[in-house]
Amino acid sequence: MTEPVLSVEHLSVDYLVAAGRFRAVTDVSLSIPPGRVVGIVGETGCGKSTLAQAIPRLIPEPPAKIESGRIVFQGTDLVPVPAHRLPLVRGTGIGMIFQEPLNSLNPAYRVYDQIAEAIQIRHWREQGILPVFRPGPTPFDYSRRPMPGTAEVLSKPIVPGGATAEAAQRRLRTRADYRREVLEYLRLVRINDPETILHLYPHELSGGMRQRIMIAMALSEKPSLLIADEPTSALDVTIQAQVLTLMKELIDEVHASILFISHDLGVIAEMADDLGVMYAGRLVEFGPVEAVFHAPRHPYTKALLRSIPSRYKDDGPLPSIPGSVPSLANPPPGCRFHPRCPIARPVCAQEPAPPLREVGSTPTADAPAHTSACHFAAEVEQLP
Amino acid sequence: MGRSSEDLAIFIGRRLLQLIPVLIGVIVLTFLATHVGAIDPCARWFPKAHMDTIARCQAQFREPLVVQFFQYFVPLLHGNWGADEYQNPVLPQIAAHVPATVELVLAALAIMIVIGIPLGVIAAQYAGRWPDHLVRLFYLSGWATPTYVGAIVAAIYLGPYLGLPTSGDFSVINPPFPQRTHMSVVDALLAGNLPYAIDALSHLVLPASVLAFINMGIATRMTRTSMLEVLPLDFVKSARMKGLSNLAVLYKHALRNALITTTTVLGVTAGGLLAGTVVIEEVFNWPGIGSYAFQAMGATGLPNFDGAIGAVIVFAIAVVIANLIADVLYGVLDPRVEWR
Amino acid sequence: MAAPVIDAPPPVGPVATRPGVRWIPAVRGFYRIMRSNPLSFVGFLLVVAILVLSALVVVDPHAVVPYGASQQTGAYTAPPTLFRWPPGGAHPFGTDGGSLDIYSEVLLALPLDVGIGVLIAGLALILGGALGLVAGFWDRPGTLGGVGSAVILRTTDVFLAFPSLVLGLAIVAALGPGLWQVILAVTITWWPYYVRLVRGEVLAIKHLPYVVAARAAGVGEGRILLRHVLRNVLEPIVVYFTLDIGTILVTFSTIAYVIPQGVPYPPVGAARPEWGSMMSYYYGNALFSQEWWAIVFPALAIFVTALSFSLLGDGLRDVLDPRTRRALAETSTSAAGGTPVGASTASVHPTEGG
Repeated sequence: MTEPVLSVEHLSVDYLVAAGRFRAVTDVSLSIPPGRVVGIVGETGCGKSTLAQAIPRLIPEPPAKIESGRIVFQGTDLVPVPAHRLPLVRGTGIGMIFQEPLNSLNPAYRVYDQIAEAIQIRHWREQGILPVFRPGPTPFDYSRRPMPGTAEVLSKPIVPGGATAEAAQRRLRTRADYRREVLEYLRLVRINDPETILHLYPHELSGGMRQRIMIAMALSEKPSLLIADEPTSALDVTIQAQVLTLMKELIDEVHASILFISHDLGVIAEMADDLGVMYAGRLVEFGPVEAVFHAPRHPYTKALLRSIPSRYKDDGPLPSIPGSVPSLANPPPGCRFHPRCPIARPVCAQEPAPPLREVGSTPTADAPAHTSACHFAAEVEQLP
Repeated sequence: MGRSSEDLAIFIGRRLLQLIPVLIGVIVLTFLATHVGAIDPCARWFPKAHMDTIARCQAQFREPLVVQFFQYFVPLLHGNWGADEYQNPVLPQIAAHVPATVELVLAALAIMIVIGIPLGVIAAQYAGRWPDHLVRLFYLSGWATPTYVGAIVAAIYLGPYLGLPTSGDFSVINPPFPQRTHMSVVDALLAGNLPYAIDALSHLVLPASVLAFINMGIATRMTRTSMLEVLPLDFVKSARMKGLSNLAVLYKHALRNALITTTTVLGVTAGGLLAGTVVIEEVFNWPGIGSYAFQAMGATGLPNFDGAIGAVIVFAIAVVIANLIADVLYGVLDPRVEWR
Repeated sequence: MAAPVIDAPPPVGPVATRPGVRWIPAVRGFYRIMRSNPLSFVGFLLVVAILVLSALVVVDPHAVVPYGASQQTGAYTAPPTLFRWPPGGAHPFGTDGGSLDIYSEVLLALPLDVGIGVLIAGLALILGGALGLVAGFWDRPGTLGGVGSAVILRTTDVFLAFPSLVLGLAIVAALGPGLWQVILAVTITWWPYYVRLVRGEVLAIKHLPYVVAARAAGVGEGRILLRHVLRNVLEPIVVYFTLDIGTILVTFSTIAYVIPQGVPYPPVGAARPEWGSMMSYYYGNALFSQEWWAIVFPALAIFVTALSFSLLGDGLRDVLDPRTRRALAETSTSAAGGTPVGASTASVHPTEGG
């Protein structure tokens, strides 16, 4: 079993404001294996964006505080990392794309400058001009040392060319090189004639274009983990479809793991391999996306799926979940969903919800276990 | 998209045209301020003049106001801005004094930018915490200090303490090179005379610092406010997620956007800077239009009526030009503005 | 349709709302301002102390001021005595060569200087505010109101082109020295800022959806605009008024310093001293080393008073920021020829989404 790219363990994030202390994320654990797309779905206010932005420690620490838990990225816990070392892990380690591309691109710089900046950071880290978070294994250089023994050769990765390769790496990139690479990444996100947009400012482009540029910017640093925080929520439906198609193609080409946050079940269904459902700051269900969709094992997930209006049915009012999302300042005792749950029992109000426990499928090498945080997961099957 | 160089020329040109009515208004207002309601002006403005000067003056003032205005305005356009007590024409005097003030103001602006803007960034970064309060106390103290108090304190205490000169723009009355621009540092550099350039700089430091300290609040406050608006925006998070260091995020990305309004405000508050030069130049003996105006108003010795009017008009023109520059800068710095 | 960018923490539990008394939220807001910013709280306390002290000096001077204005203390000592803190009979701020007690002079000048600051700020506010209202309401081009409004704007631009001190000096030089001339001079230089401020606010309000809706519903235009405009314009006006008291005080005392005949010192008859002219008198007529206290204490008085009002105003501005920022943006659109009503190409374009 390969080491997961990201492993969040019992993470709790608090907001300290004048009115009190909110726990926006409570005891969330998930793990993202390399090359897999993990989706998190939930309503507004369930804490999914907080989770997404807490992972690279992006939320400003004075109002927010990581109360407990570990965020293990490529084997290193990010929680105790001091603030000045955090930039090292971002960019080439963890990349992020945001929801509103007009606000996420700097309005004062042209497209070329913004993407070139990202590429430059990656170059400088590769060349050693900038420090890296965790240096990769040093390639073996034949030109400098006496000839290695067989064991040594077999144990280290080989870089062809030795001295010339190093020299090639350290050669100062010229503007032409950068330009070429920027164009390459723009073509990667399926922008035709990218030369025409290099000199433009973000406000001169359409929403779909801006989102592609943001994706290109994030990908140009070749991150191991890409966090997508509602990337298509601000786009028109047709553009949304285009961008999603693009992202699916890129997933095959790019080999990064993706954490995909959305409130749209349809989008998640298309993109994710594994799906987690969040409610009121907690992960209530997690598992392979087909399992969660076809055999949900938590009453909230079931209700959520049921409430998607279907185009072809016309029988009666739209089903919805009674009640409303609880205030995080005063969450209900016990299981947070119990006031709105159709199968709530007295124990649900008295005891806290159980931790995620396996229901149904066992984990395989590819797929995680299907888990649910409900005392009565087995009964969910029988719900209409 | 409406931002080519031709568009810029039109942009600037339109604003230059709009300058003209304001300039005329400025001259009218100066005239009114100095001629209307003046009670026995001749005795006050020419206290020690000859009888015929006073008689001529009184004859002038008996004319109807409109006639007086044209008697003043038309020669003004021809470059005759009047003469002082000793019949020396005023316009060359003013022209000789203006560059020194420009030098002083530019130096003060430089100090305000180099010190004030980073302070504003720090205040925004640590908003609500003690660095913010310290910065605020600093610039509010500058604001609350009357110009002459700051100038006197600097001249009497800081100057000797720091070993900086407090009088004039050079250590000698007539430096041994031609004063082509009348700006001390520039002239010395143009003449290739490095010791004198350093001397000129050392004379510039104190008055420029006082002027900057008093007006620092403008730059700092505006930077802080703009940064506070900009910092929560998503593109700052994007910049962080690129892996840029905190300094690069603050200065290269956030400040670049926050500066748009800051530079505009800096240009507009040129008025405050110019007002300060009047007293500062007097205290530090700086040969600029400020001390010229001070003396022309009669605070020390004989008043210079035409000189005073001329100086006031020059001040107003300078403010108007500074506002123009600020407006153009805004259009240049914010890529979203169209130059139509 | 779009979800918010961040799942912001939902509001706290039910906020206690008592019906009826409307000023309680204002008081609570004020309390929050003061608590969040210790500097403004200090400023607030100082301002209150200054106002109380001014009132005392006017109403019952003998309670706080040991000697009257121009009253010689009889301490014909040379060099004059320095600080002596025991109350009664001593000279906390020293005396000058003519045996005037500096402490008394400084205190006696307090109500004058503070009063002048308040008066000029108030006059500028009323005059500028009224013109700003007019320029904002009736600004449709082509109508009489539009012409009037354009005239007001151009005139304001012209006045704004003069640095306040310079225009003030010129006016005093023309009108002659005297307290009221100086007051008039400073008022004339100050009112344009309020025109811009109020007009900006009116323009912003006029096109707000709820105002348009009310107009469509038939509510009298003048009345609704007045109610809404006044309510919204009150906040930045309070901020600027407070800040201006300090700045006006500094400007006024500078003019009094430069043209000392403006407010004669030592004061004659029943007149009051004034800090700026005090400083001018002592700086010109005495060796600084021998009588530094006569110069330092009036300067300190100006500094502390202006600082208190500035601290308070700056703290207030923190909280009322969005509007003052908008007002600042209005004042910053160039005075170089002014910009046509509402059509400045340099004003910030609201960036359209998508």
